[in-house]
Amino acid sequence: MTTYARYLLGRAITLAFSVWIAISIVFIIPRLVPGNPMDAILMKMSQMGASVGAQELVEEYKKIFGLDKDLFTQYISFIKELLRGNLGYSIGSFPTTVAELISRSIPWTIGLLSVTTILSWIIGTILGALIGWKGEHTILSRLFSYFALLLYVIPYYIFAILLLFFFSYYLRQTLGFGFPSSGGYTPGIELKGFTLEYVLNIIWHSILPALSIILTSLGWWYLSMRSMMTTVKGEDYILMAEAKGLSEKTIMWKYAFRNAILPQTTGLAIALSRIVGGALLTEVIFAYPGMGWLLYNAIKSLDYPLIQGCVLLIILSVALANFIIDLVYPLIDPRIRYGEET
Amino acid sequence: MKSTKIYRHLSKIKGNKKFFAGAFTVAFIYFISIIGSFILPSEYYRTGSFEPALPPNTKNFMGTDCLGRDILAQLFRGIQNSYKIGFIAATLGTIIGATIGFISGYYGGFIDKVINVIVDVFLSVPSLLFLILIAALISGGVTVETMALIICITNWSWPARQVRAQAMSLKRREFVYLSKLSGMGSMEIIVKELMPHMFQWMGANFINAFLSAVLTEAGLSILGLGPQRDVTLGVMIYWALSYSAIFRGMWWWIFPPVVTLIIVFFSLYILHVGLDEIINPKSKKV
Repeated sequence: MTTYARYLLGRAITLAFSVWIAISIVFIIPRLVPGNPMDAILMKMSQMGASVGAQELVEEYKKIFGLDKDLFTQYISFIKELLRGNLGYSIGSFPTTVAELISRSIPWTIGLLSVTTILSWIIGTILGALIGWKGEHTILSRLFSYFALLLYVIPYYIFAILLLFFFSYYLRQTLGFGFPSSGGYTPGIELKGFTLEYVLNIIWHSILPALSIILTSLGWWYLSMRSMMTTVKGEDYILMAEAKGLSEKTIMWKYAFRNAILPQTTGLAIALSRIVGGALLTEVIFAYPGMGWLLYNAIKSLDYPLIQGCVLLIILSVALANFIIDLVYPLIDPRIRYGEET
Repeated sequence: MKSTKIYRHLSKIKGNKKFFAGAFTVAFIYFISIIGSFILPSEYYRTGSFEPALPPNTKNFMGTDCLGRDILAQLFRGIQNSYKIGFIAATLGTIIGATIGFISGYYGGFIDKVINVIVDVFLSVPSLLFLILIAALISGGVTVETMALIICITNWSWPARQVRAQAMSLKRREFVYLSKLSGMGSMEIIVKELMPHMFQWMGANFINAFLSAVLTEAGLSILGLGPQRDVTLGVMIYWALSYSAIFRGMWWWIFPPVVTLIIVFFSLYILHVGLDEIINPKSKKV
């Protein structure tokens, strides 16, 4: 246990250090531009034609973040406010805080991404296992592999555009019916409360965004599982199992599959750690009300505090998730040597 | 001795269909775009040169967009700019990353530790995020060249990590000890003995970095952070999406950049796989 404790401490230090570096970078970047960040915000606000609340906003900012003081004081108060969960105010919709806007969007992203990541992992892994076991040289296997490769190479947001064109626009033009093109639900339906209709409406709206993520990540899961399965097939214990006269089904699922799946699990953990910032552009293309759409609108309205907040939150979530993976992984796979850097 | 080695590589390249197919397509697309730019005058992609939203016709082979610009002319220009971003970002990223990684791996010690943590941060954070922060800050002033430099800020970390590992293993090999014994200076060892081992790998990394730079450019541009005064493949998609070309049924606007990007990605990937097979004959991918 002592080695594990030392390993834990090392990981925690790395986590703290990388969080600190990320926060510092987020703090420094806007201050590299000449001039007061507040002046820049004011100027951008007047460009946008908004003057309501501008003065209050500036006063509030100065008070909280000490913008009229020296850089070091600013840095300290920035970190202090951050630790209290204060990410500042949105400029685009002033009295609302950045934290509030983010907390409204984040369930959509986590919901969409966790479901799609797990679904595509399951489908890809099972397909890869079946085809990897049956052999690489059948026509079906080749066809599948080229298709998977194509899906793997196409970026998800390009695929999203294609889906949007064919299944939302083109289908509606030809059949008079198509998938929804934007939003997370039909506006107004949420007022009736959390009913079955609302849930179905959400699922209906998320089909195309989900497909764009599932299909493009499917390729990778399929390819890696297939090659793992082919490797495992040549191992001695498979030969042994065959010699024992076990049925092919048992050998495949209980012997080959269980051994081949380990790297896939790591892959899933890594994919899950990135879900908050994972598919920002799909949300942009489908106007899906998650983090990506929030970020896109923040960029469009030059809402720098909101951009900063989104970016910071995603970075922190990734760092934290990486830390959790590092903690759990040695417990799952004892072959990982902890405490020693390669 | 050296010439036989080169010959061996050449013969391997000759036999690799993936490498050839990929390299040919990538080069062919660029070649066509250059020729095309000579044929179509640059006014063609200026606003208001034609009637807006024309479907493909004999004068505008791919039609025009909502601002009356010829799509084919934009596409040619966009391909060149996207390639330019890919080239600059990949070259600088590979060189900077390799240098940092090399210093870190070869000298070790405190520098190595510091660099390692920084590389860790850059590798674990989705790089698009840092780029969004920076690009949002200088939005309005982004050109094709600054776009390439912005992408460089994050894409050095992967080659740095890779080269560090290589440098660490190389410096323990016997021929390095031998050259030290024979009185070569450390600079001489690096340049004469170690660099040649890196070149092949740097070539493969370059292709990969090129691909990811084109990809990142498209992503940033779709978010609205691309170059404003020039056109890239990503910027074309951004315009098409902002004018909701899809729902106006203007397939001739959205499809050219999308299909071009898919072809470019696919051929770059094939090229990368082919190159990988040439360099490490043992590893076999799909």
